[in-house]
Amino acid sequence: MKVKAKLKKDIVKVKVLAEHINAGPEEAEKKKIEPNFITSIVAKANDKVVFEVSGSGFISKNPQFSFSFKGAAKGDEIEVTWTDLKGNTKSAKKKIK
Amino acid sequence: MDRRKFLGLGLAAAALVPATTLNAIDFRGTKPDAWKATTPADAIKGMYGDITPIEEGVNIKAPKLAENGGAIPIKIKSDIQAKSVALFQDANPRSAVAVWTVAAGGIIDYSVKIKMKQTGKVTVIIEGTNGKFYSKVLPIEVSKGGCGG
Repeated sequence: MKVKAKLKKDIVKVKVLAEHINAGPEEAEKKKIEPNFITSIVAKANDKVVFEVSGSGFISKNPQFSFSFKGAAKGDEIEVTWTDLKGNTKSAKKKIK
Repeated sequence: MDRRKFLGLGLAAAALVPATTLNAIDFRGTKPDAWKATTPADAIKGMYGDITPIEEGVNIKAPKLAENGGAIPIKIKSDIQAKSVALFQDANPRSAVAVWTVAAGGIIDYSVKIKMKQTGKVTVIIEGTNGKFYSKVLPIEVSKGGCGG
């Protein structure tokens, strides 16, 4: 997973790229694979949840999300975690630039 | 006072506290009907119940013509003080695409890439902290369908 976080004025802009097949049932059937997609992504900064989304198989392969939030400073760490349909999780940490 | 104990005093007390933190809400778990629905109207009903959204205050930016239906960039922006933001479309077997939980004082400035099997419309619903709902519908023409099609 790739995470970029940049502070501009008082807003932190974050980009997340998760490597995931992200295929719903219909697509998985065509590709003859098991359906699996990212069901949720949560981002935390300074122990506060700053971003949260519930997803589906209709988000692109290797899902890309971007979002903004206030209340963090340069050098603070942001932690992004995704969970998929099969219960796999992956986290990445990144310092805010 | 210990914050945890304080919140433990009950919902009434918790409601008075400005929520500076959020607990992860799994909308897939709490609103299963919304994710099974095949039309945006049913998905919205499954997510929020019978609502009559106001058609204002929601900004969607997306290509008018998407060449690759497998990754259509969608940007959602709004100044509405919101609890949640939901994205639906009417081109795929099921309508719900993503639902965001907005942090208190949070900024609605999201982007995501979505799949659309064919030409259709995306619908965004914003649930305001004032209990009102806001919506916007945007047509997107798809020349090559996503979803592995």
